[in-house]
Amino acid sequence: MSDKEKLLNPDPGVCVPWEVKVEEIGEFPGNEAIAKKEWEKLDDFAYNFIWFWAQR
Amino acid sequence: MNETEKLYQKKLERYMTAMDCGKPDVVPVTFGIGEWVVKYTGTTLQEIYYDLDKSNNIVNEMLKGLDFDIFKGGPCLWWPPMFDAMGSKLYKFPGMGVDENSTFQFNEQEYMKADDYDEFIAGPTEWLVNHFLPNISTELENPGSYRSTVALIKGAAAFAISGGVMAAAWEKWTVEHGVVGQTTGFSKAPFDTLGDALRGMKGVLLDLRRRPEKVIAACAAITPHNINCGVAGSGADTRFPCFAPLHRGAYPFLNPKQWDNFYWPSLKANIEGLWAKGKRMLFYAEGDWTPYLEKIAELPDKSIIFQIDTTDPKKAKEILGGRFCLQGGVPTTLLTYGTPEKVKEHVKRTIDELAGDGGFILDAGGVVMGDAKQENVIAMIEAAREYGVY
Repeated sequence: MSDKEKLLNPDPGVCVPWEVKVEEIGEFPGNEAIAKKEWEKLDDFAYNFIWFWAQR
Repeated sequence: MNETEKLYQKKLERYMTAMDCGKPDVVPVTFGIGEWVVKYTGTTLQEIYYDLDKSNNIVNEMLKGLDFDIFKGGPCLWWPPMFDAMGSKLYKFPGMGVDENSTFQFNEQEYMKADDYDEFIAGPTEWLVNHFLPNISTELENPGSYRSTVALIKGAAAFAISGGVMAAAWEKWTVEHGVVGQTTGFSKAPFDTLGDALRGMKGVLLDLRRRPEKVIAACAAITPHNINCGVAGSGADTRFPCFAPLHRGAYPFLNPKQWDNFYWPSLKANIEGLWAKGKRMLFYAEGDWTPYLEKIAELPDKSIIFQIDTTDPKKAKEILGGRFCLQGGVPTTLLTYGTPEKVKEHVKRTIDELAGDGGFILDAGGVVMGDAKQENVIAMIEAAREYGVY
């Protein structure tokens, strides 16, 4: 199992936490808050898509 | 403020007052357009399910001139093209698996095996991605393949597209007709999430005997996710309740001891978790919940709207009334097999029994089925206006 595939067990509403992503990116020369906000929006969308299928 | 905006505010005020157990100027009444509409539109049920624009236009036409307060939406719960894109095994939809005028069917299976419990409990979201989605989707049988990747792209795109189309439709209905939607967000009893789509009825009932501790642990793992789904994101709406169709908790799917041990604790935690975030639940108690009313009364005041389907209405009023808004009262069978006159008589009786001191919304008891008669549904809302003035 690679590092990217390790069990995350993220919080509700999260698929891949920003903290995991930013650690992989390493240095962040720009405004992290801007990127974080949009990452989390799309992550929340993915989360809702995944759970949609389990909530028939 | 134009006339439609004033109308919206008036209906919203009625809804909010009733939800808080108060007495508005009239008994608020709901209206929803179910599959029954297809008999009056010259279309097939498949067309209505597959063509969102056609379905939404039918709703738009039908809303003209109708006098009701709370709108429950149009005839389609799902957009089948999204399911087709994924090769979903979960449903058979009109025209795809069943006749073009037949209602959808749920294809219940053990999509989660008994051996999957531990991995699911350790990381529910990841388990859903890695195992559940491939199990329920023929297009995802080979994860990472060309077909699988394309299907995921199409499925997610369909989710976004249908969400955008429906948001625009609701905005149009609100602006043009002043309708107030009933709910925002969606939740379920954790036991139902487990017993409906994951383990299935047979699987979960066997689990109650063979691995009861796994059922309890799985429900605990699901609960925070169902709270999150109900709130539908941070900073989201808390004025309206989330919709929670409740299935296996109806008497007598489970015996009372099983209900106490397996069904109620996680549902109660779910409702309390939502309420802590300011979010109410439309406790859509399909079937008969009479034996459990005393337990339900343990919930925080006003944290649910209790839907009366075949629950004893007098007992619901006696035990829950004044602390929780009650909704429903009109049997769905009456809307199918009755006449407008019978419906009106029943509405009058229901208002007399349940609406006296406020905290009541008149509604069909459950989902109004495809064989309901339009004249009966219209008679329900007309009678509510005739007899529902406080």
